[in-house]
Amino acid sequence: MKAVMIIYNVAHTEKLEFALEKLEIRGYTQWDNVKGQGTLTGVPHLGTHTWPEINGAVLAVVSDSQVFPLLEAVKRINKVNEEVGIRAFTWEIQETV
Amino acid sequence: MSIYGSAVKKPVTTILIFVAAMVIGLYSLTQLPIDLYPEIELPFLSVYTTYPGASASDIETNITRPLEDALASVSNLKEITSRSNDNISVIFLEFEYESNLDEASNDVRSNLSFVQGQLPEDAEDPVILKFNSSMMPIVFYAITANESYAGLEKILDERVVNPLNRIEGVGSVGLSGVPGREIYVDVDPQKMEAYHLTIEQIGNILRAENVNVPAGYIEMGKTDYPIRIQGEFQESEQLANVVVGNYAGNNIYLRDVATVLDTIRESRFVEKVNGGRGMTLFIQKMSGANTVQVCRDVEKELKALSKDLPSDVKIEKIFDSSSFIKGSINNLTETLMYAAIFVVLVVLFFLGRWRATFIIILTIPISLVAAFVYLFITGNSINIISLSSLSIAIGMVVDDAIVVLENITKHIERGSSPREAAIYATNEVWLAVIVTTLTVVAVFLPLTFVKGLTGVMFSQLGMIVSITIIVSVFAAITLTPTLSALMLKVKPIRENAPFFSWDGSIHKFLEWLDNIYVRTIRWALHHKKVIVPVAIFVFFGSMALFGIVGAEFIPQSDESTCTATVELQTGTRYEQTLKVADRIDSLVKADIPEVTLISTSTGTDDAGGFASLFSTSGTHTISYQFTLLPVKERKRGVEEVAESIRQLISPMPEVINYSVSTSSNSGMMGGNTVDVEIYGYDITATNLLAEELSKRFKTVQGAKDVQISRDKSKPELQIQFDNEKLLRYGLTTAQVSTIVKNRIDGLTATRLRQFGDEYDVIVRFKKDARNTITEVENIGITTPAGEVIRLGEIAQVKEYWSPPNIERKRKERVVTVSVTPYKRALSDIVADMQKEISQVEKPSGVMIQISGSYEDMQESFMDLALLMVVSLILVYLVMASQFESLKMPIIIMLSIPFAFSGVGIALFLTNTKLSVIAAIGAVMLIGIVVKNAIVLVDFINLVRDRGVELYEAVIISGRSRLRPVLMTSATTILGMLPLALSSGEGAEIWSPMGIAVIGGLVFSTLVTLILVPVGYVLMARRGERDKKHKVAYRDMKFLDGIESVN
Repeated sequence: MKAVMIIYNVAHTEKLEFALEKLEIRGYTQWDNVKGQGTLTGVPHLGTHTWPEINGAVLAVVSDSQVFPLLEAVKRINKVNEEVGIRAFTWEIQETV
Repeated sequence: MSIYGSAVKKPVTTILIFVAAMVIGLYSLTQLPIDLYPEIELPFLSVYTTYPGASASDIETNITRPLEDALASVSNLKEITSRSNDNISVIFLEFEYESNLDEASNDVRSNLSFVQGQLPEDAEDPVILKFNSSMMPIVFYAITANESYAGLEKILDERVVNPLNRIEGVGSVGLSGVPGREIYVDVDPQKMEAYHLTIEQIGNILRAENVNVPAGYIEMGKTDYPIRIQGEFQESEQLANVVVGNYAGNNIYLRDVATVLDTIRESRFVEKVNGGRGMTLFIQKMSGANTVQVCRDVEKELKALSKDLPSDVKIEKIFDSSSFIKGSINNLTETLMYAAIFVVLVVLFFLGRWRATFIIILTIPISLVAAFVYLFITGNSINIISLSSLSIAIGMVVDDAIVVLENITKHIERGSSPREAAIYATNEVWLAVIVTTLTVVAVFLPLTFVKGLTGVMFSQLGMIVSITIIVSVFAAITLTPTLSALMLKVKPIRENAPFFSWDGSIHKFLEWLDNIYVRTIRWALHHKKVIVPVAIFVFFGSMALFGIVGAEFIPQSDESTCTATVELQTGTRYEQTLKVADRIDSLVKADIPEVTLISTSTGTDDAGGFASLFSTSGTHTISYQFTLLPVKERKRGVEEVAESIRQLISPMPEVINYSVSTSSNSGMMGGNTVDVEIYGYDITATNLLAEELSKRFKTVQGAKDVQISRDKSKPELQIQFDNEKLLRYGLTTAQVSTIVKNRIDGLTATRLRQFGDEYDVIVRFKKDARNTITEVENIGITTPAGEVIRLGEIAQVKEYWSPPNIERKRKERVVTVSVTPYKRALSDIVADMQKEISQVEKPSGVMIQISGSYEDMQESFMDLALLMVVSLILVYLVMASQFESLKMPIIIMLSIPFAFSGVGIALFLTNTKLSVIAAIGAVMLIGIVVKNAIVLVDFINLVRDRGVELYEAVIISGRSRLRPVLMTSATTILGMLPLALSSGEGAEIWSPMGIAVIGGLVFSTLVTLILVPVGYVLMARRGERDKKHKVAYRDMKFLDGIESVN
């Protein structure tokens, strides 16, 4: 079991939702209006007048086998236009209840 | 969920909402009546009081003054003017616009009741009359006839007037100049006296003969027979055979002492149409009826009716207020269409994409339709003001859609799907779009608060533009994203596109333009010391142009008609006047090809009634109405035609006064004259002063038709009785005056009844027995003793000058000298007139004041100046709150003065005067031009905030915002272009506004692009950058000492 956190420009919302559906990832949590800024590239996504873009976030806890296709999907979304911005981070899940 | 998010996610609902709106709008459109102006209640009341037998000055002291004093305290009263004529006093009360006239007339009535007791006993009760714009006839027809002329009254009454009255919306149908039938018994005084008869005796006998009497019943057998004595005359010939007396045993027949004439009424009023004898038929509409519809129905009905009329009766239209309305409305509709086409072309030019253009253009009909719904709900009509407002708005309603679509396109190009782009791109700009629109609304909404006559015009303008723009914003943030999501496609710019494609030509041109602009701005930023003085110089230089162009109130519209009044020596006989009238008629017809129809009325109509109160008329005056060719079929304007008519009339020696006026009665804007009012009690002194001024004004360049309002004294013959002699013969003044009246004016003895109509039988002296003073003095009067004496024995006939009418304003006697401007600015003429006035010596107690359209103009300009200040403050407030800065709005407002410069330059180049309309255009510019600067400054702020260095930020923003600024300006400019260039009916009124807005916007756009960046660099040096550091993080000292390890 791994947790995958995807932070994406809201302009990618529908693509990501489609990916989750296609990969049959049922369990996830989604936040709207998440502010953030990349470490290396891209502009801040702050939802302000100056930096009007804004992010969403998805936290999906998936089986190990699902991690690779999901990251692959994120990579493909990112390839559409790298300027728009989408990032994914994974880590181990110790236990669940 | 946000409104735009929902809209994109529910495209069906969104689109159907707009479809529904369109349907309601189109329904409203079909229900809207068409009229020239919005319906307004003219705030006038008048009070008529008759006091038979009193002279003008008696009327003034006994009637007018007490009434004026009583009425002065009525609330909402703006001005009180009055006219005291012989026998009648008329008081005009002008109220503030939008005051309730019903309430006002109640006030007037109760105030009148306080003084009614103080009025002379013989005076009749004052009558209150309410003015209404529907009292103005909407259409005039000229009716001419040859053989049937004599019987025309009956024919018209039965076959034309009655059927027309039945048409829906027709208030009343009137005829003037109708030849009525009358039977004259012209008595030879010598024969009459020889047989010991008098006019009164003859009259009594005729009356006694002309009777039908029921004489009871007789019973015969089983039947009851009523008996009637039929003594009434069947034919007028019978009159001649009536026995009027007996002399020396012989019967004296009427034919022995008199001639019986069965003819048309002798009138001192003649109507001619194109030189032929004719009469006028005029139609008033019911209040609230659709003028165009009523005129069309009347026209159709008349066509059908004229088939049944005798073949020599011809009906021709003289003046049709609906044709000007239709012309103006068609013209404006055309203007609106061209404006829409231009806007489409501009959008297509800048975007180069059909789908995008379509989406943007769709906001035009939607916003316009909203205006129709507004008009329908508020009970307004389609009129030149509402249509002009629409064509002003048309260029502005696309602006918001353009901004939204531009951002959506940017997102799509970056790879978002149209749906996502539509939602998230709208999210980024919707607030900015609403705020820029607020600045425009901040300018147009205050227009609705303008009071007075200009308020009537501009409140509708303000309301319509505000509504269309607000609806366009709504469409821009709902419909535009929805349609973008459905329709937009990614279509990248091809690098090596063929020249004939947009990508290959216009796109490259726009790129080139961007580069040029960047170079210019870079130069400008480094040459601030040149730019700033040049700008200041240009501003003040262009302000000087306003002094040159001159000012006027409202441009006169060319309604293809003009009227003229020609006055001959007072007391000229009407036959004489008629000859002059014919001569002018033929001169005009020969020399002025533009005139298609001339209708003339000469003399006074005794049965004129109320109408004659409004115009001074007499046997010595001729009134003309000229109908001209339609505007598009002639080269000269109506003012030039009027001027050449003046040139024709002025050399005629018999004409002592004339005026040619181009403003028709259908306009609500009143006259265009400058009135110089001379207040003073002394009639002779003020008359002399008025004469002196009028002589001087005639020398002022551009001053035409100098008129004095007070009538000249009229020669009249007065019969002054010697009371002692009267008494000696046992006569009274009343008896003798009746006798004189019966002999000269005639005695209405009885009526001839034929076919259900009655015709007066008038007994009087024959014409050549009442033509000289001697003949009047020779009138025989039978004393109670049976003796016949001559009028000359008991009275003297004297020539006398009757006193003029007395006009009063603000409870003081006033004479007005009015001047019509021709081809010269009102302000310049007034300046010259003031110079003349200052050179004239004023008698003590006399005050001179300039009013008329000059006063109206001054008032309107004051209103507009106030409006401008209000608009500036509002716009500043909106922007200050948007930028959260007090400095930014000032940078943005730098473009406003240069908009005024542009107005000055445009008016100067097109030789247009600064009218109230042009000034309104200038006020509108405040809202329109700041929009450009907001777009630019906002973006500079944004780029600066992202950490770019000041100069570079300015240049990047300039490059990025050049196209949107050019595009929104171009749509507004080209949207107004048809309005400015239009030359059809009614175009004169609005083209100054178009010219002003175009001039101002072109100039201020150029200035915005150069001067605003320079101003920004000068004023925001330290800038808006790091506002957060300055404000929010200022007091955060708790991390002192901890530094980053990078």
